[in-house]
Amino acid sequence: MIDVAQLKAHAKGLLEKGTVRTVFGYRKSTAGLLAEPAGITEAAQADDLIFDPSCVQNLALYLVNDKKHQAEKRSDDKRPVAVVAKGCDSRAITVLLQENHFSRESVHVIGVSCEGTGVVDARKLARKLGNKKALAVAFDGADAFAVTTNEGTQSIAAAEVMAERCLECRSAHPTLSDVVFGEAKAERGLHTPFQAVKAKIKESEEDRWAYWSRQFDRCLRCYACRSVCPMCYCDECVVDSISFVIAPDTTAEEKANRIKWIERSPAKSESAMYHMVRAIHLAGRCIDCAECERVCPVNIPLRLLNTRLEMEAFETFQYNPGSDPELPTLTSSFRDTDPNSFIR
Amino acid sequence: MTKRTGVFVCHCGNNIAATVDVVRVAEELGREEGVVYSKDYVYMCSDPGQSTMAKAIKENKLDGVVVSCCSPTLHEKTFRDVTEEGGGLNSFRCEIANIREQCAWVHSDKPKATEKALKITKAAVKRVQHNQSLTPIGVPVTRKVLVIGGGIAGIQASLDLANAGFEVILVEKNPTVGGHMIQLSETFPTLDCSQCILSPKMVEISKHKNIKLLTQAEVKEISGFVGNFKAKIHQKAVYVDPETCKICDDCAKVCPTVVSNEYDVGLTSRRAIFIPFAQAIPATYTLDESACLGLNPVVCGKCAEVCEAGAINYDMRPKVITEEIGAIIVATGFDLYGKENLGEYGMGRYADVLDGLQFERLCSASGPTGGHVLRPSDHKEPKNVVFIQCAGSRDPETHCAYCSKICCMYTAKHATLYKHHVPDGQAYVFYIDIRSGGKGYEEFVQRSMERDEVMYLRGRVSKVYEKSGKMIVLGVDTISGKNVEIEADMVVLALAMQPSQGTADAAKTLKIGRDKDGFLAEAHPKLRPVESVTGGIFLAGAAQAPKDIPETVCQASAAASKVIQLLSKDELMHSPTVAKVRLSHCTGCEMCVQACPYGAIDLGAPSNKARVNDVLCEGCGTCQAVCLRAAIDVKNVAQVQIHDMINACLGV
Repeated sequence: MIDVAQLKAHAKGLLEKGTVRTVFGYRKSTAGLLAEPAGITEAAQADDLIFDPSCVQNLALYLVNDKKHQAEKRSDDKRPVAVVAKGCDSRAITVLLQENHFSRESVHVIGVSCEGTGVVDARKLARKLGNKKALAVAFDGADAFAVTTNEGTQSIAAAEVMAERCLECRSAHPTLSDVVFGEAKAERGLHTPFQAVKAKIKESEEDRWAYWSRQFDRCLRCYACRSVCPMCYCDECVVDSISFVIAPDTTAEEKANRIKWIERSPAKSESAMYHMVRAIHLAGRCIDCAECERVCPVNIPLRLLNTRLEMEAFETFQYNPGSDPELPTLTSSFRDTDPNSFIR
Repeated sequence: MTKRTGVFVCHCGNNIAATVDVVRVAEELGREEGVVYSKDYVYMCSDPGQSTMAKAIKENKLDGVVVSCCSPTLHEKTFRDVTEEGGGLNSFRCEIANIREQCAWVHSDKPKATEKALKITKAAVKRVQHNQSLTPIGVPVTRKVLVIGGGIAGIQASLDLANAGFEVILVEKNPTVGGHMIQLSETFPTLDCSQCILSPKMVEISKHKNIKLLTQAEVKEISGFVGNFKAKIHQKAVYVDPETCKICDDCAKVCPTVVSNEYDVGLTSRRAIFIPFAQAIPATYTLDESACLGLNPVVCGKCAEVCEAGAINYDMRPKVITEEIGAIIVATGFDLYGKENLGEYGMGRYADVLDGLQFERLCSASGPTGGHVLRPSDHKEPKNVVFIQCAGSRDPETHCAYCSKICCMYTAKHATLYKHHVPDGQAYVFYIDIRSGGKGYEEFVQRSMERDEVMYLRGRVSKVYEKSGKMIVLGVDTISGKNVEIEADMVVLALAMQPSQGTADAAKTLKIGRDKDGFLAEAHPKLRPVESVTGGIFLAGAAQAPKDIPETVCQASAAASKVIQLLSKDELMHSPTVAKVRLSHCTGCEMCVQACPYGAIDLGAPSNKARVNDVLCEGCGTCQAVCLRAAIDVKNVAQVQIHDMINACLGV
């Protein structure tokens, strides 16, 4: 079982010595069950850090945002930043390293074991509890969560309220870390990988078209999915015409030739294109943290779209995003063992 | 700024006009935004067509030109030259709309084809309206040529180039040059001795001051581009100094290891230290590392002990040689189709079932039997010999679909030679049909039938089996319609030719294409038969397709003349349609660096963003496709152009 006191002590030590600039971790939220991301810079704040099944967010995002802030501030503080990373978060960091988004030295990865149970799905838990309101959730052995409600603490089988992606998780322990707290647990193997998407693609084309038409029709184009995704770090988004980067060296011709591939209006066709383009841009990069799906205000099942391409990458090219920072990225590399003979 | 685009629609005689309403295309394009001139003409590439274009560009002050015609591989250069030289407009302001190969030739419904031609042309107009004027990039050339493969093709090409004054590096995988030709006894249709005509050329190779011969060597890596390649060549350690070796054979006499002799296709054996054959070039013994007991005086060391010249040195190490060259000729040759594939003909099961090359060795005066045709099993003279043509060729279901081209002729030659050696013997040939196109070829086959009484049976052999100590060939004669059973003393299979393993490896190292059968792909089957699709890499010999010696020599000389053409210029012009990085958008993720097939991109100062080497870039656009941030564009194929072209096709 992970000892949070050790985690706190480690973070405190880093900040006291000043070896890192910031520690990104989780703390108890003031609003609801789920933990909130915290960027702490003072050793005293380390006592606020927690790690339990409510720590669902992918903190790799804050490394990306931090880089932007540092650039905006023109800060010359080159010290690394520390980040608490579950297995999935560490894969995201690996992908960012593959893409040279930052160097290995600039990040101190504090790996944490999400035990045998992964993290909780707040919606599933609320459904399970009915009228009771969950106040806290803790790891409880290899296959249960201890959930505290206003009526006391009860043990709930993890498989019933675990996040969908944790059920399908193929590598729960951090693959990349400078230090790890908690033990590596055997893979849960609760669901076979890509189970949800495999079930979906069995449906007829007409049914799937109807399904996705309905989903995309509901999209508000709030871009929450894009904002929460650590891989969506482009300054200019190809599907969003107001994100055009105008730099000092942007020529008049470039300004005149800006292209609007997709309209901003949340019409079904435009939203469909937006999500498709995003999914394709994530091929070989999505590490299935499912944050896009979690933050969607209208509950579009975005995980299905992204895992569809990850399934293709895995089954056709045996490519596992985030497994090795030295590996070239999926779409830019070619191997002699490519299944297509025309390309060999 | 308003554009002044001109559109020129070609009828291509009836090639386009029969399927596309070219008059309507010209009329409708005249009404497009920015188009100030639009005209159709029967042959735009003809002299009057070109004059019309040049005049129109000047008179209408055009700033962009679209020619709706055939594929850009045919006439892009023609029309760009007209644009620049005749019209005084930068040649990169001319674009081709391919309405022949991509429209007229592949459709039959005229109204629909016309719609498509309109879309293709409108898209090209949108593209050209964003085109920039560009200037070709001049690149100096290295006047040195790499020839890969030391068979007759490589030898001929090397000699032609060396005689024209170019330095040549000839790389051969085996211990000697000569290839398959040096294994042959006589050559059709004149029956002149193969060794007699080839060995003078081999000697010339070794003596020529412009040729550097590297045997037991393989090209492991090629980088660079036309005019400026860099080759990394690995040369095995040979353990014998060719300069000091006196070819006395003392070493081979004491060598305790015996292995199968490649030169005699396994009919004889050789020692671990050996010379492939007396006329081998370089004229030296060589030590086969894989067969030697251990290159260690403690283990054996007998050869070094007896060598009076002191030519043997166990401390030699493999070498890596780096060469800068301007052009490459690939002449990696063929292998025979694997025997193991033809179990039905008893190959590998019966000692007296031979392949064509083995039979050549039996006929050759330098061969295992001293030029007497004797059975390998009991050294008796065979009285009935069955030759089976198309063994593995022309059999799309189980073997190779293609015709190996030379087997009809060499089988006739084998049968003739056999009759010369064994006048009282009988030769049978099973054939599908006889392909004897070539000077003196048909006469040669006829002579083998009439004078040497070779029995030609039209049909296939179903199997070869053994019955009471005799080999029985069971086949069918489709002319009489009867099954035939022949008691054979020897069976010779005319095995299919297939691209050699070296050809497959070279294709991979050089990144040049292969066709469906694995032969090297030429740039154009008719008009560019000795060029690969990659600039500066040329093809010669059986690596490109099955061919006989005269044809191989022709192709080798042709490839050499292409290289001479290329390297006689001071400077090569490189296309300026290369990738360009938008630094404001590049994050330095390195995907383009990894994806670039030409190694043209790296990350560079000041901020570790992508940087394109204009000379290495071929403008293929792979980087453009992998970049998630649209931070890299190929000049004149920029995103905005693709966007506008899609819109033009969609009609929005």
